[in-house]
Amino acid sequence: MDRMDEKLDALWVEYRDACPAPDPSPEFMPRLWQQIDKRRIGNARVFRRLAQICVMATAALTLLIGAVVIPRIQAEAFFSKSYADELAAEHVNADFTDFLTAGDLR
Amino acid sequence: MLVDFELIERARSGDDSAFNQVVQAYRKRILGTISRLISRPEDVEDVGQEVFLRLYFSLDQLRTAEVFEPWLYRLTVNAAYDYLRRQKRRPESRMADLTEQQVLFADAAAGSKVREEEERRTKIRELTQSLLGKVSEEDRVLLLMKEVEGRTLKELEQIYKVNENALKVRLFRARQRVLKALEQEEKTGGERGWGEKAAGGQQQS
Repeated sequence: MDRMDEKLDALWVEYRDACPAPDPSPEFMPRLWQQIDKRRIGNARVFRRLAQICVMATAALTLLIGAVVIPRIQAEAFFSKSYADELAAEHVNADFTDFLTAGDLR
Repeated sequence: MLVDFELIERARSGDDSAFNQVVQAYRKRILGTISRLISRPEDVEDVGQEVFLRLYFSLDQLRTAEVFEPWLYRLTVNAAYDYLRRQKRRPESRMADLTEQQVLFADAAAGSKVREEEERRTKIRELTQSLLGKVSEEDRVLLLMKEVEGRTLKELEQIYKVNENALKVRLFRARQRVLKALEQEEKTGGERGWGEKAAGGQQQS
């Protein structure tokens, strides 16, 4: 196995020599900056679209709240009367004699 | 380090001219590493572009300039690994490109000596690639980083963010598989001539 290990180590060395570092082409840097700009523009476009969607959603929600939800809440007017008024309205035809004991009637 | 920390700090803070200088300093070394990891000359530059593109958009995540090199090698390893995985999915295009590559080499090599040397190199590349075909893409890249690129275990630990022992185990297993394949190759007599010459050459040195 040692001989094979040696052979493999020799192969790695030979392989390194067989794959020398290539010289970068003259277009390497211009191409790289082109790609960077392309991705930058792409990212900016995505953010702009997201921002537009957020603004539109906010505007739609504001309109919905203003046109539907608030008028409905105001129409319901839960607390327009006092508690006493509300009780009186509830027992306007009530017969309170039930509450009185026989002794009280005498 | 091929550049000083200050230049990396400047590139990190968004200085495009500093980034340009960093790329110019490292591109040849990175292209060399990629060439050995993927062993397809016609695609080396594309993968190199991908590495520096990823570097540009991830430079702000770099904690300190001191870890720049492992970071760059990590990006290189990942880009090479992604490329190898893509290639695995379309083996038919690989065969077609290899034929084209051989034609190109044949045209370029005018003198017979040059041609002979190129043939020998091609043979070594093909043999190495066929042996590395016995391990996964991840192990192949790891093995090449250690054995061919000469990265130390400490450096690999930083690149892979995996502890040294786990790396040792993976490297040992991958090497064993490649050794077995080499042994098989020798038995079938495929590269006997190269093997004896190489082993003899190493013993002499």
